[in-house]
Amino acid sequence: MDTATHMLRTGRRGALLEAQMALRDLRASGERIDLAWSLAWHDVVSRYRGSILGPFWITLSMGVMVLGIGLLWGGLFRVPAHQFVPMVAVGIVFFGMVTMTINEGCETFVQAAGMLSQTSLPIFTFVWRTVLRNLINLGHHIVIVAAVLVWAGLWGHANYLGAALGFVFLVVNVAWASMSVAIISARFRDIPQAVASITQAAAIMTPVYWPADRIPPSYRWVLDFNPFYHVLDAVRAPLLGEAVAPHTYGVLAGMAAGGWALTFWLFARTRRKIVHYL
Amino acid sequence: MKAPPVSISCRDLTLRFPVYGVDAKSLKKHLAKITIGGRLGQHHGATEVTALSNLSLELKAGDRLGLIGHNGSGKTTLLRALSGAYEPDEGAVEVEGHIAALLDLNLGIDPTATGYDNIRLRGRIAGLTMRQIDERMDEIAEFSGLGPFLAMPVKTYSAGMQARLAFAAATAVEADVLLMDEWIAVGDAEFQKLAHRRLLNLVERAGILVLASHDLDLLRLYCNKVMRLDGGIASPVTDIRKLDDLLAA
Repeated sequence: MDTATHMLRTGRRGALLEAQMALRDLRASGERIDLAWSLAWHDVVSRYRGSILGPFWITLSMGVMVLGIGLLWGGLFRVPAHQFVPMVAVGIVFFGMVTMTINEGCETFVQAAGMLSQTSLPIFTFVWRTVLRNLINLGHHIVIVAAVLVWAGLWGHANYLGAALGFVFLVVNVAWASMSVAIISARFRDIPQAVASITQAAAIMTPVYWPADRIPPSYRWVLDFNPFYHVLDAVRAPLLGEAVAPHTYGVLAGMAAGGWALTFWLFARTRRKIVHYL
Repeated sequence: MKAPPVSISCRDLTLRFPVYGVDAKSLKKHLAKITIGGRLGQHHGATEVTALSNLSLELKAGDRLGLIGHNGSGKTTLLRALSGAYEPDEGAVEVEGHIAALLDLNLGIDPTATGYDNIRLRGRIAGLTMRQIDERMDEIAEFSGLGPFLAMPVKTYSAGMQARLAFAAATAVEADVLLMDEWIAVGDAEFQKLAHRRLLNLVERAGILVLASHDLDLLRLYCNKVMRLDGGIASPVTDIRKLDDLLAA
C-alpha cells in the first residue's frame, strides 16, 4: 500500500543513480517519520500489553542492577557510593540503549518482511522504527538517571547542554550501526549472534560497570580504541559534571561521518535486493 | 475538480529473484524441466529465478486487467512490482495515481492488539493520517459487524472474525490503482455478499484494476482486458471476450 501518486522504478544501474534512489528513500522516510513513530509506539505498547508496569519493568531491573553493582562493586573498587552509583546508573541506562538498538537492528528488516514485500514504504522507515522504539524505552529508564543524580547531589552540577550534544552523537552513531547490521543480518542469518557477542564483549570492555580512571596506562588503548567508550563518555561525563576529552568529539564526528558513509554505500548497493533477502 | 491522470506503464520489465542459501547445482538438476514457476538460471554466479521477462504493459483509466496463468507464472510478482515493492532488474515500471495493493489481507495484523488498534495500524501503513482513520473508524467498525469485539484482542477472534476485521480495514482505502491477488472472499454467506458489494464499489471508484485470479467467471465479470503469464512471459493484452482463444493458445 502506498499513497504515492507517481512511482517510477527502473532497472537502470550506476553508482550515481543508486545513490540518488537511496537518498530518495531517506527523504521519503523523513516525510513519513510519523509512520515510523506509530510503528515504534505500537511495538512498545504491544510488547507490554497486559502488563501494569510496561517498559518500567526493564527500568526496574536496571534499577536493581544499578543498586547491586553500584553498592557492591563500589565497595570493591573503594569508590564512595555517591560517586560510583551515578556513574553506573548513567552507564547502564545509556549503554543499554546503545546495545539494544544495535541488537534489535538485526531484526529490523526480518520483522518487516511482510510490509517490505508488498508495499513501497521507504526502507529507512523501519530503521527509524527501531531507533525510535529504543528512544521511547530510554524515555522510561531516564527516571533512574534523574533519581540518582538528585540523590547524589549532582543535579545542580550536571552540564545538560553537553550531555545533549553527546546524546545527539550517540543517536547518530547508533543509527548507522543499527542500520548496517540490519542489512547484513537480512542477508546472512548468522550475524545476529555475532552482533550479540560483540555487544556483550563491549559491555565488559567499556567502563560501564567499572571506573575508567582505574585503568593503568599500559591498558589505556582499551579505552582509546573502544568506540563504545567515546559514545558513552560524551553523554555520561557531562551528566556527572565532568569534562569530556576534546578528542572524544573528534572521534565521534569521524565515526558518524565514516559510519554513515559506509552504511549509505552499503544501502545504495543492496537497496533493491533487501526485499529478496527476506 | 479534474481527476488526476491514472496510468500504469511497464517497459521491458524483467525481474529476477536471487535465491540465497540453496545449493544451486542440485536445485537446478531437480527443477530444470519443471513447467511451473519461473526459469532458473545463473547470473553472476548466483542462482536466480527469472520471474518476469521483458514484460510490456500500458494501462489507462478504465482498464480492468485480469491476470491468468499457472501457479508461479509471475502474477503475484507482477502485482508486487506494480506496488513498488520489487525493483525491476531491467526495464521500468511507472505508475500514476494512488496505489492500493490488496495482496495479503493479514498485512500488519497484530494478534495481541485490539481490533481498533489493528484498524489504526493498517490505516497508517496504507498512508492514512490518524485523523482520516478516526473519520472512517465508525464506518469500518460498522462494516466489520464486530461491534464490542473490536475492543478485544484479535487473538480472541475466530478465523472468520479475523477475516472480517482484516477485510474491513484493508478495503477502507481510496485508490486510483487497485491491485488484487485473487478476489478476496471471506466470512459467512451474509458477509460475503456485503464484502462483494464493497469490493465492487472500490473497483468502480478506482481508475485501474489489476486482478490476478484463477476464477475465469470472475475475470469475465469484472475485467475488460486479460493477459496471460507463462513462466514470466506475458501474452499481449487482449479483450476479455477473447479469453477462450487466449486459453487455447
